[in-house]
Amino acid sequence: MSDRVAIIGIGWSGFRPVTPEYSYKELMYEAARRAYSDAGVDPRRDIESFVTVAEDFHEGTSIFDEYTPDQLGAVLKPMHTITGDGLHGLATAYMLIKTGQFSLVAVEGHSKASNLLTPDGVTAYAQDPVLNRPLRMNTHFVGGMEMNRYLYESGSTQEQCAQVVVKNRSNALENPSAPFGADLSVEDILSGPPLSWPLGVRETAEHADGAIVMVLASEEKAKVLSETPVWILGAGWSNDSPGLENRDWSSANYTKNAAKMAYRQAGIYHPYQTIDFAEVSDIYAYKELQSLEELGFFQFGEAGLVTEEGLTHKDGDFPVNVSGGCLGMGNLLDANGLARALEIVLQLRGTAGPRQLEGINVGLAHSWRGVPTASGAVMIMSN
Amino acid sequence: MTYLEREPAAPKAWQDEMQVTNRYTYGVAGERFFRAIKDESKILGTRCNNCEHTYVPASLFCERCLDHLDEWIDVGTTGEIVTFTHLYVDYDGSPLLEPETIAFIKFGDGGIIHRIESNESQQIEIGMSARAVFKSKTERAGSILDILHFELMTS
Repeated sequence: MSDRVAIIGIGWSGFRPVTPEYSYKELMYEAARRAYSDAGVDPRRDIESFVTVAEDFHEGTSIFDEYTPDQLGAVLKPMHTITGDGLHGLATAYMLIKTGQFSLVAVEGHSKASNLLTPDGVTAYAQDPVLNRPLRMNTHFVGGMEMNRYLYESGSTQEQCAQVVVKNRSNALENPSAPFGADLSVEDILSGPPLSWPLGVRETAEHADGAIVMVLASEEKAKVLSETPVWILGAGWSNDSPGLENRDWSSANYTKNAAKMAYRQAGIYHPYQTIDFAEVSDIYAYKELQSLEELGFFQFGEAGLVTEEGLTHKDGDFPVNVSGGCLGMGNLLDANGLARALEIVLQLRGTAGPRQLEGINVGLAHSWRGVPTASGAVMIMSN
Repeated sequence: MTYLEREPAAPKAWQDEMQVTNRYTYGVAGERFFRAIKDESKILGTRCNNCEHTYVPASLFCERCLDHLDEWIDVGTTGEIVTFTHLYVDYDGSPLLEPETIAFIKFGDGGIIHRIESNESQQIEIGMSARAVFKSKTERAGSILDILHFELMTS
């Protein structure tokens, strides 16, 4: 058994609403070259195993895992693809190194969402085929119904959800990789068109293209290769029942359980006191508030209030989504969790540029796979 | 090479579509559940006495203790609205001129997701009762669409 595991290399390509000049393989290649260069490794010689995350229907290619080795330098090497979020991929790489069989593992996630011409068809095909899909409802209805019940039970407001959009898109203005930076007001958000009331179009992250690659190393290798290793303290993941008829409509128990698992590994009993900043899923704005509560940072119904007070602002006591989140960086499909983790690594390295936070040691990344899923993952990292 | 440097007339993408057609077997519990809707205008659940939980739609097994379930319960056709939404986009993502109202109506410890009758949809509130309106028996085919929609019980 090896001891600790660190992220020692990061590379990304993007993020942009469209990338008509690059194929998905070229996006992955660019991100991979940057990550290997950042880590100071030769993938053909040094990387021992590769993990990617992708979903066939997002890619438009069946058995898509067959199409991943070449652009990553993984030909004729151990490699597999997970149909999950990027944080599931990171957790898998973490476990591979923990087995003691591998000391350098690469993880990849990407989005070429602009090439998916019928994204609503893909999420529709994720609905239960006999109970829900025959009704021919756009899958955003799941977000609208969850937001409605969450606001009803928690006492949070539409204004507080809009405040999340204002904060995250403003944060994105200081992130050169985030395409959706904007200076907006709560009124700008609330006066936008409805999507699935009470959920509005402007509270929903737009898709973006890009790729992210990370190189993970055993403690022994990390100490040799990196001056700024970012250590993984804990990883957790959990899935609730897939049935919309069997789920709790106001809470995200999958996020709560994923966090518990990660906190147990990290030995964290007081998340708010121990963790300095977080990147959480905000595919829909209300999801940031709900997730912050499920992660144990705030009591149920409190996240909206503290957001209004500015606590989660980049200058507040507990910055959330300094990167801009999904609302600012774009919904990157299966790569969303890696985008959240990427910001944690940049911040903990002290290389986040104008949005660099001061005095931080522990960060948390969270992701959710979007409607209609009930699947969440958490990773805790420190410098 | 950046996008701006490209020759605008150059070929840049190929377009294709996947042909996917599937059959979805209802299964033992699903067949009885949908047959009860079709033949008897009834909504059925199955009960797990270990977990004191009634599954609606009926399931052959308990997801909590994994016990096999064979106690079938008629849960009636009127339930409470747990949550709802006014949906402004169609199945394919195109805008809907008139929004449709979708609700989760509680039956047993589960429930049914369905549309709310459109003339009433602006009066909807969480906690209201709603009743299943079935298609005429001759039009039913044994699916969730045998329920036409739910109507609000406003009294």
